[in-house]
Amino acid sequence: MKKFVQLLCAALLGTGLIAAAQAAEPAPLPATSIYRIPPLTLVDQDGHSFSFASLVGTPRLLGMFYASCQMACPIEIETIKQIERAVAKAGGKSIPVVLVSFDPAHDDVAALRKAAVQHGVSAPEFLLTRAMTGDIGMLGGVLGISWRPLPGGGFQHNVVVALLDREGRIIATDPANGRIAPAFVAAIVREERATR
Amino acid sequence: MKRILATAITLALGYAALASNVHASPLPAGWACTPAICGAPEGKPIVEQLLPPPEVPARITRHYPAKVIVNLEAREVVGTLADGVKYDFYTFNGTVPGPMIRVRVGDTVEIRLKNAHSDHMPHNIDLHAVMGTGGGAADSIVIPGHEGAFEFKALHAGFFVYHCAMAPAAVHIANGMYGAIMVEPAEGLPKVDKEFYVMQGEFYTPGAYMQPGLQPLDMKKLLDEQPTYVVFNGRVGSLTGDHALHAREGQTVRFFFANGGPNLTSSFHMIGGIWNTVWPWGGSNEDHNVQTISVPPGGAVIADMKLVVPGTFMLVDHAAVRMFNKGALGQLVVSGPEQPMLYRALWNRPFPPASAMPPAATSAH
Amino acid sequence: MLRTLTGLLMLLAALVPWPARADAAAARFVTVPGGHFVSSLLDGTRTVTVRVAPFAMMEEPVTEAQFAAFVRQHPGWQRGRIAPLFAGSNYLAGWLTPTDPGDAQAARRPVTAVSWFAARAYCDSLHAELPSWHQWEYAAAASSSSRDARANMIRRNAILAALMRATGQRPGLIGQRPANVYGLRDLNRLIWEWVSDYGAMFPDVNGDVGSAGSGSVLRLCGGAALAFRDPSDYALAERVAALSMLAPADSSPFVGFRCVRNLGDAP
Repeated sequence: MKKFVQLLCAALLGTGLIAAAQAAEPAPLPATSIYRIPPLTLVDQDGHSFSFASLVGTPRLLGMFYASCQMACPIEIETIKQIERAVAKAGGKSIPVVLVSFDPAHDDVAALRKAAVQHGVSAPEFLLTRAMTGDIGMLGGVLGISWRPLPGGGFQHNVVVALLDREGRIIATDPANGRIAPAFVAAIVREERATR
Repeated sequence: MKRILATAITLALGYAALASNVHASPLPAGWACTPAICGAPEGKPIVEQLLPPPEVPARITRHYPAKVIVNLEAREVVGTLADGVKYDFYTFNGTVPGPMIRVRVGDTVEIRLKNAHSDHMPHNIDLHAVMGTGGGAADSIVIPGHEGAFEFKALHAGFFVYHCAMAPAAVHIANGMYGAIMVEPAEGLPKVDKEFYVMQGEFYTPGAYMQPGLQPLDMKKLLDEQPTYVVFNGRVGSLTGDHALHAREGQTVRFFFANGGPNLTSSFHMIGGIWNTVWPWGGSNEDHNVQTISVPPGGAVIADMKLVVPGTFMLVDHAAVRMFNKGALGQLVVSGPEQPMLYRALWNRPFPPASAMPPAATSAH
Repeated sequence: MLRTLTGLLMLLAALVPWPARADAAAARFVTVPGGHFVSSLLDGTRTVTVRVAPFAMMEEPVTEAQFAAFVRQHPGWQRGRIAPLFAGSNYLAGWLTPTDPGDAQAARRPVTAVSWFAARAYCDSLHAELPSWHQWEYAAAASSSSRDARANMIRRNAILAALMRATGQRPGLIGQRPANVYGLRDLNRLIWEWVSDYGAMFPDVNGDVGSAGSGSVLRLCGGAALAFRDPSDYALAERVAALSMLAPADSSPFVGFRCVRNLGDAP
């Protein structure tokens, strides 16, 4: 009987310790941080995998795409590059870009690598990624991106590229449709400077 | 040679005469923006005092452009369509039509639109006075519990319809979601004694005319453009009996009359009267001595009448069935002394029948 | 000894979370057979024929009682605690407390004023998802006697009339009408229901989803007539207009949801 009680006490104590350990979290993210979405693990065009939440700490451009996209996504990538050039011209430093595929079924690492070569982008400044685990729909929702598979293949979708601050709050968005919005470029320059 | 010259001169004069008739009515001064009229807003922003129909906001007496703020709320309500008959209306500010807005040409108008929390549908507003995408509809879409706003410059004077343009617009309009806005010319319209605001609209219900109960929209009748009700200000009897309009003999009354539709053109007429002055289409042209005027859906008219005899005058859509069987009837009760020199009854009595033989033919030529 | 043991057991009991209240009945899913289906929404001007794979759909919309049980078990989705990223100020606005709808008929009332994120999280907790617009449309096309009753004008008019009659009121109760041929209830006349691809219903490449003022002019007035195969299906137009104007964080008092499982997913 005594042993049983001892075991019970040990179990209770153990539970208490684990609970205490979980309670000691890192500094909480702001309420509107995009990193609050349920956990996502991503893998990039070079096969490196990482958690979405680990992107916190630096301002970034974040958007979505799919590798076999013929029109809107190439325009999106091209426009992002133009925006980065405009940022450099304005005296700022370019910030890292992450695009997440909403076609994980087809966009394996090989497809991501092929797309990266096609568009002339490379890690770590410009990541083309797919989700390995987690719900990319939540990511689309917070970015305001919606997609629907078309019967013949491909997707009906819109494009939004978001400027995130270092804590993951969306500062500004851009439709990345070929036109450079000076306000968006200015926001990037400001944010990058503020976090140097 | 002389003959050719004469012909040429005749032709030239004829053409000039014809050309001058083609542009018979230039735009009167004050009906469109000029730098003098349409400068930046002056003074403090004015919050428009909105009144329920048939009331009209006070005429504008200022002589400078202002910022005017208009607070509208989209509200889906169950209301009375006729005695014993209820209907699910879509409204601006709870009334059909929505309140009449009155601004001056050159004003900067800020439209603020809320959508009531209890609503089920998104709504927006398209004002025909606006030069801009959708008449404002693109930038005023609000879901229930949300509010939106946009601003426009009133470039043209006139009397214009506004309505909800949210898809499916035919349904929103058929449910009563319309109103009107008067953009006064710079010097205002001529002053009259009384002004009234009336809008015609049709309603399509599965139940027959006056069948009691809560009636929803009947889609088939709407598509077939076969309304059950054609009414003024959203209900049968809105302007009759206790709700009749009143004026005094000798006064000049003005009707700001518009047609929300959705489908039918109104043949606007006052039984027992002649419109002394109308602004057809709600535009800048003036016409006089008009009996009946067409007001298309999404259109309007301003109509003035000097009341010279007493009596009850009927405001109608002269498409007869609509006034007798569908409710398109209002009353203007004019009090005052009889004017036998202008109108008097003579007799009403039996007369003997004609004899069995036809009258003899008289020589004619 | 016994007292110590009892005390320890009581302490243990206090730490264990109790299961949800018994009035939140488990959701039932029915299998909807697959088939080909012509969508009521056009792609530009082209008709869209969709191949719908068989799927399982919740018989009825999610109820207030079911959603209350969910937020009790997942406090991060309660009103007041939910991240602003996932819902605005109208989230569950009508509820008495963050965990209590305050409705005597909560077991039969569809939950509304829930954002797209919250609806997804609920479905996720059941290892399910929100239906796509095509899945929803396919399921809702069926009446109690036919798999595709959309061309039936009397039925179409009745649906519109029912929606009009609900003007200004809170949603009615689930289960008042017969189920359709698949065994699904209350798809057409009760509430608007979230779909997973709410934002992709009108072709609007490069637009920002769900913000007033942006977006396709197809959403306006006459333009919308172009987007529907049959523009006179007003009940459908009202539903599509209502859904396509929502942003995922919006909670609307007339918008609820139900979940689907794509067959082949683990239950």
